[in-house]
Amino acid sequence: MAAVRFGETDRTPVIPQIFAHSAILSGYNILDYVQSGTLAADCQIEALRHYRYDNVFAAIDVCLEAEAIGAELRFRPDLYPAVVTPPLTADSDFANLPVPDPASAARMPELLAMARKLRGEVGHETLVTGVLQGPMTLAVLFLGPETALYLAADDPDRFELLLDYCTEIAIRFGLAQMEAGVHLPMVFEPAGCPEVVPAAFFRELLAPRLSRIFTAFKKAGALANWLHIAGQTLPILPLYSGIGADIGNFDYCVDPQRLIQALPKQLCVDGNIRTLAFIQDQPEQIEAEARRLIHSFGHRGGFILSSGCEIPPESKPENIEALVRAAHRDPCQHITAVTGS
Amino acid sequence: METLIDALVTGDHKRALATAQALRSQGVSVEEIVRLGIQPAMEALDYKCTVEQFNLLEIMLAGRAVSGVARELFPDSSTPPDSKATIAVASLQGDIHDIGKHIVKMVLIGNRYRVIDCGKDVPVEAVVEQVRAEKADALCISGLITSALPRVRLVKQALADAGIGHVLVLAGGAALKQSTAAALKVDYVGQTAFDAVKYLDPIFGVKP
Repeated sequence: MAAVRFGETDRTPVIPQIFAHSAILSGYNILDYVQSGTLAADCQIEALRHYRYDNVFAAIDVCLEAEAIGAELRFRPDLYPAVVTPPLTADSDFANLPVPDPASAARMPELLAMARKLRGEVGHETLVTGVLQGPMTLAVLFLGPETALYLAADDPDRFELLLDYCTEIAIRFGLAQMEAGVHLPMVFEPAGCPEVVPAAFFRELLAPRLSRIFTAFKKAGALANWLHIAGQTLPILPLYSGIGADIGNFDYCVDPQRLIQALPKQLCVDGNIRTLAFIQDQPEQIEAEARRLIHSFGHRGGFILSSGCEIPPESKPENIEALVRAAHRDPCQHITAVTGS
Repeated sequence: METLIDALVTGDHKRALATAQALRSQGVSVEEIVRLGIQPAMEALDYKCTVEQFNLLEIMLAGRAVSGVARELFPDSSTPPDSKATIAVASLQGDIHDIGKHIVKMVLIGNRYRVIDCGKDVPVEAVVEQVRAEKADALCISGLITSALPRVRLVKQALADAGIGHVLVLAGGAALKQSTAAALKVDYVGQTAFDAVKYLDPIFGVKP
């Protein structure tokens, strides 16, 4: 947590976003991972022991919330589930939809079981991070991307009702994850990326709702608030601190130097090695890129070495080992102790 | 025509359609509307949508407006008059996401290409068969997730095996655009939907 507060750290923290890759590493397939929270927790622990990074994720897949309100999913052995039939339509009564109970709705309890088991295994020695979907991403999952985006443009009042419903789901699921043991829930909001909706859309419609989510999590004792939006987020990253985020990821397409100029001493950031590199590149390339990143943020601090987005399940283990090795070995450490928020 | 261009660029599909209908009732030909209305609108969108400013919502709204006008102008098919070439679009087996494919499709139609939509989550063999049957000149593959990668690498060889190795293969989408043409064994990797047009136009007789 020192890195989050721009304090001194003995080395650069390293948190690769590993979800179902942990299943592959443990000899299971993705279908096994997404159907059993306890097995998924075992896989995460196995990956933690193998790679020796600084976090475990209580994360299954992005469809938990959609399934909980009635989405039909397609499950396959080697792929994450995907929504086949969205659970809502543009004509749904967004103001009067029930918020699913994470203790009983579809596979949400599996994630809570995963969180409990992870916390039981690692205690406070390793960060346990939960994952939930942000309001815009839920809206896209609930309606399908085209219906959601057209509704946002054609009937913004009704779309805001949908966003409010999604916000309530996010808050309830996040609080349940914290009760189950995660130290903090990460909010996944890829559909809020400026490549999907304009930055003004994020500022006016999404930022206030993300702020509500983060306020609720902080009030409940979250160690920090973590916002994950992949893609070219430079136009909105300066807004993150104002809405209550303490950590924000930056993807491979965001230039670290431009990010440092835009955010000189605010917001701990994590990133940003290209996810495909973990499949296609060689360990020497990964390690060199990781060292370059560590040095780029050496004077700024507030940096967690990571991938730009989720590390693909089929990634080469030796490439993830190279990422962690760079953080463990590189002599460049955060030495700029600055009082953070 | 300026009103039509503005309505298309701003994604006002109702105004675009009404304007196109008014132009037709005034005797303006379909060809003129495509050349002087839709195509300049697509060029304006292309200029606006650099890699860093690409914005799915605005492109979708513009695409919906273009599609609405296209349906009005040639209701029996998605073939623009005087089309430059036939392009197949697909998301391969393992990838059920097709929003990227739809965007490419709309941009291609707006730029006077005949488009064959092979669908999403489609086996390579089925895509190759449609490309062969429709005599497509190029195939655009959209891939949102990395699991599509191994199948993308098979496409060029599968086309050659079917005796249509001359068909160009383009790739794009969130996962595929991180890679290179050589790594994917394709002819071109685009960063945005408009890159497909920039690659195809010089080849099919239009100066860049």
